[in-house]
Amino acid sequence: MPRRFTLAFLVSALQVAILSADDTPIRALRVSPDQIRLTGSNRRQQILVTAESVDGKQFDLTDRAQAELAEPSLATFNEGILRRLRDGQTELIVRHGSLEARVPVVVADADRFPPVHFENDIVPLFSKLRCNGSGCHGKQSGQNGFRLSIFGHNPRADFRALVQEGRGRRIFPAAPDRSLLLLKAVGLMPHGGGRRAEPNSMDAKLIREWIAQGSSWGSDDATRLTRIEIEPAERLMGTQANQRILVTAVFSDGGRRDVTHAASYGTNDDLIAEVDERGHIATGSRLGEAAITVNYMGHVGAIRIVVPRPTAGNDPPEFIAYNPIDDHVRTKLRKLGVEPSNLCDDATFFRRLYLDTIGTLPTLEEATSFANNPAPNKRIQAIEDVLDRDEFADYWALRWSDVLLVNSANLGERGAFEFHRWLRQQVASNRPYDQWVRELLTATGNSGKYGPVNFYRAMRTPQDVTKTVSQAFLGIRLDCAQCHHHPFEKWGQDDFYGLAGYFTGVQRKKLAGNREFIFASSYSPAKMPVTNEPIPTRPLDGEPLEHIEGDPRVHLADWLTARENPWFAKLVANRLWKHYMGRGLVEPEDDLRSTNPATNEPLLNYLTEQVVESGYDLRAVMGLILTSRVYQLSSETNGTSFDDEQNFSHHLVKRLPAEVLLDAISQATGSPEHFAGAAHGTRSIELWDNRLPSYFLDTFGRSERESPCECAKSSDPTMAQALHLLNAPEIDAKIASPEGRIAALISRGASQDEITADLCFAALARHASEKERTIAAELFAQSNQRQAAEDFLWTLLNSYEFLFIH
Amino acid sequence: MSLMQPRHSVRRASSRSVGATLKAIDSMQKQALTRRQALQVGAVGGLTLPHLLQLQQTCASESAKRDVNCIFLFMLGGMPHQDMWDLKPDAPAEIRGDFEPIDTAVPGIQIGDVLPKTSRVTDKFSILRSLTHTDSDHGRGFHVMMTGKKAGVGDFNGNQNNNQHPCLGSVVANLAEPGALPPYISVPNFLNSGGPSFLGASRGPFVIEADPAAPDFAVRDIDLPIGVNDVRGGRRREALRKINALEQKVERVGKQVRSLDAFYEKAYDLMTSKAAKEAFDIARESDEVREEYGMTSIGQCCLLARRMVAAGCRFVSIENGHWDTHRKNTYSLRELLCPSFDQAIPALLNDLEQRGLLGSTLLVVTTEFGRTPRINELDGRDHWPNAFSILMAGGGVKAGQVIGATDKQAASVADRPITPEDMCATILHVLGIDHQKILHTPLDRPVPLVDGGKVITELI
Repeated sequence: MPRRFTLAFLVSALQVAILSADDTPIRALRVSPDQIRLTGSNRRQQILVTAESVDGKQFDLTDRAQAELAEPSLATFNEGILRRLRDGQTELIVRHGSLEARVPVVVADADRFPPVHFENDIVPLFSKLRCNGSGCHGKQSGQNGFRLSIFGHNPRADFRALVQEGRGRRIFPAAPDRSLLLLKAVGLMPHGGGRRAEPNSMDAKLIREWIAQGSSWGSDDATRLTRIEIEPAERLMGTQANQRILVTAVFSDGGRRDVTHAASYGTNDDLIAEVDERGHIATGSRLGEAAITVNYMGHVGAIRIVVPRPTAGNDPPEFIAYNPIDDHVRTKLRKLGVEPSNLCDDATFFRRLYLDTIGTLPTLEEATSFANNPAPNKRIQAIEDVLDRDEFADYWALRWSDVLLVNSANLGERGAFEFHRWLRQQVASNRPYDQWVRELLTATGNSGKYGPVNFYRAMRTPQDVTKTVSQAFLGIRLDCAQCHHHPFEKWGQDDFYGLAGYFTGVQRKKLAGNREFIFASSYSPAKMPVTNEPIPTRPLDGEPLEHIEGDPRVHLADWLTARENPWFAKLVANRLWKHYMGRGLVEPEDDLRSTNPATNEPLLNYLTEQVVESGYDLRAVMGLILTSRVYQLSSETNGTSFDDEQNFSHHLVKRLPAEVLLDAISQATGSPEHFAGAAHGTRSIELWDNRLPSYFLDTFGRSERESPCECAKSSDPTMAQALHLLNAPEIDAKIASPEGRIAALISRGASQDEITADLCFAALARHASEKERTIAAELFAQSNQRQAAEDFLWTLLNSYEFLFIH
Repeated sequence: MSLMQPRHSVRRASSRSVGATLKAIDSMQKQALTRRQALQVGAVGGLTLPHLLQLQQTCASESAKRDVNCIFLFMLGGMPHQDMWDLKPDAPAEIRGDFEPIDTAVPGIQIGDVLPKTSRVTDKFSILRSLTHTDSDHGRGFHVMMTGKKAGVGDFNGNQNNNQHPCLGSVVANLAEPGALPPYISVPNFLNSGGPSFLGASRGPFVIEADPAAPDFAVRDIDLPIGVNDVRGGRRREALRKINALEQKVERVGKQVRSLDAFYEKAYDLMTSKAAKEAFDIARESDEVREEYGMTSIGQCCLLARRMVAAGCRFVSIENGHWDTHRKNTYSLRELLCPSFDQAIPALLNDLEQRGLLGSTLLVVTTEFGRTPRINELDGRDHWPNAFSILMAGGGVKAGQVIGATDKQAASVADRPITPEDMCATILHVLGIDHQKILHTPLDRPVPLVDGGKVITELI
């Protein structure tokens, strides 16, 4: 914690029982900041009063504690905010019961409005009042002739727009109160955007003062904002509770200023905690965890709000950790007061393991053999077996093809085929992830012979390659920064074009037969649009390259796959977790940023370490996840976990992906799918051509492979899906196929019980229950054996147990 | 007829804002400056009457919503504007082509002689002769004309999700209330760039993947498969209900199951809805009516569309193909394309009018671009986005007029350019949707429904 944040911490000599809201005795009061300096007539200071109970809990007392100044004539104190009156020194005394805390206060230059600096003072105001958003003056065409740079990324242009354009009528130096800028902002003149600030507010005063001071740019050697500090960083809260935020800007000269009122706030889960524009957090009635994001002038941070169950901290029931994943999850659950579910049964585990890992339903033989295996470690055996299967390579080549846009419409059939084949080889040989990504990024060659170069064919400009590389391998969505500063991250255009410089030399030479030769030549830095200014090539958060020798992509690959790269291993760890657990530790899984923190940061760090320590052996990391107890929990919830969706207290149910579902239906019915142009018996997970006609795959949402964003693939349910499963003649034909499972059962004279058991195993990989046998028996009683068998299989294929991975 | 949820809220919101505006005006009258007076410096006074009226009008137009559905006909390939809607008889032969202008029901409006029946109903639609954009590729042309957003990088031919921006139909579906029919239906197949993009698959079209002109036309998957009669279907459904009841309660097994469960309910509703089944059953129309539309794909699609909007569907998109006349343009138009078009469009307009549906049904006849002024060596015309024509009718839009004009060769817009964004803004406006409403992409980028489009005021 920074020095200034060592809080005024005064413990009362008497440990008297002062009761907090939830009747816990308080043992200490803390006030932030620990010293206050108000310089200038417009300065203010937000105070945070924090109580610490005897059991170590902290909560906000700002609104309930009594506070006064030892010398009341120096400043006013209202609703937690100190405002200057006249120069001098005193103390702020905060009391609650018999506890007391004191903070020294200095007021200086109380009558003088400090010099206003356009970039430091006015531009943040435009962001705060949302003048420069993309819905208003920030959009490309501006609004009604007045245009600001989006989110204030170009203060110089904003200055010109205000002071010079519009024939100078926006600013009226002789009578600041009559300037259009002010009149519109405070709604004293018709304004499409309405009233953005109250006429007597600090915001309005700031604008007025800037104009009165001559509406100048301000001193060029004005101090610059270097960082922001946010308090609290994390807080456990009850339901329906409040918490204030203190945001302090730190400047290059070491100066500090309270900017709580000027920062903007957001929440990632407003059911758990919401935040208003003043920085007041309010929890709702839901339990769980939310991240409150804070943004001031492109400097961002997050506050973690945890709303635990009242039982939190009690030991959960028997939960034996299988590996460190379980410890991390248990720690989190304990903090929240959520009890984990029990282990799922063997059959559920086995089906889940197969569908998740190899995209394949267990066969009747496999499921029976697992069910009958008496070995106590049979789950571990099964995990080892399944990671070795050929289908593992098929399935993960498919998933990587989705991420890396192996799209025959853009690459041609030959290009898509070679790219897919290469990816499958990487998976099949379990080549370390960093190595194959390096080969992909630096690939040179003929797209019809050498698969990975096709990566550079779908994206045809340095800008598009930059977006895809940052999203697919780093989980950073740089799209925004192509045109303006990222609205809730630190990335700006210089970051984007710094990275784009690595790809400016990529050349694409046309060859016969829709092929291309991809190579790198003629490196030059990327240029900023509009200004055409060359931007030094550099990695994100890194130093510019001194000089570039040879293919600059090699330098990029060095940085990207380095152990120290904070995103590369983390993203793939999060991807694998999401794949198996149904939800990323960070969501969306490919959106890593400080304002989107992981729900279990220690766990994500641990998995990231394991990716690196294993030598980027993704199969080993999958094995680690699969052998955890957490992966093997039941999807059934209990009284404490029914609304938990982010802490892995139970297994999250997920629908079978389009390709896996089609294969599962084919396998359960014993009737393979035929794809036009693919070899007989080809399964959907083996397809390299994502544009092969298939109503089923289109309807159930196969990836379009047009954008690296995972959002491009939609597993949303639709009515067409339900109708197809209920009525499609294609599926009915599989059920009733003369070559299919039911035909074979009947021709070998299977009994009703045998048919019931066989179909249940084929579809659900488990024995039929008593009740299911009853349901089947009712069907068999009402029609002939073949029809009844068909109806029973149809029923199983439409059941939620079949359609979902439990 | 289905009402859209946001309409109510828009109406409520704007009635509040009218109140708020009046209050604001009141307070402004007490203390504020008008813009002009402020510029004159010093004068303090009230708001002028015209200003007040203007403010009220702005508020009123936001709440003036009608219950209008849309039939959106897309002439796939590029409809030759200069041979059908915007003839240039004075141009040189290699430009004016083989068609003659003919007089129509509206004095002063002429169209191509290949559309004799359409010429008798020009009083029922407006011809927009000054559409213009810059994409001469089919896929990119679909994208901008279907979504009101210029395509970025990528391929748009056959892409189910046009993942750059939702199309008009998906925007409508996103706001529609549940009804007997899906809110957005596409026939006789998925229309390129007709996908929901980031609005999600549930806002995609319900695709009728069959041609209603075919003798065995049926909407796929809404009936039990052949060989499964109603009794057996009932047995299956009962067995499924029991099997799923064995699972733990649906609400305890996660969002995805709940959500698919809801769609199973919708599917059952559709399968058992008499209104929906009848709407899809084109055979219920008399032979006379079917012949009037023409026993062609476009004719029967139009007839089916009329049945579906009458039953509450909000947006029907129809694809009509083969307009990409790079060869034998004259032959293609005269023999293959225009006769069925010329049969279907007047029939639909007359039928909608006779049934009292024209006022509540917006008909748009559009295309991805027009065709080159000069006829090529294969007697065809190539792609030409610089200037082309579309039609709009019904839904309360003004009819019997021509909007915009091209130059002597129908090569560029000479008057009143209309962009695809303008077209989309106008369609949404007529359907009662604020085209400037902001959507949020998965990157949380706020994007307006239509970027920069302006409502074509001549139509309103």
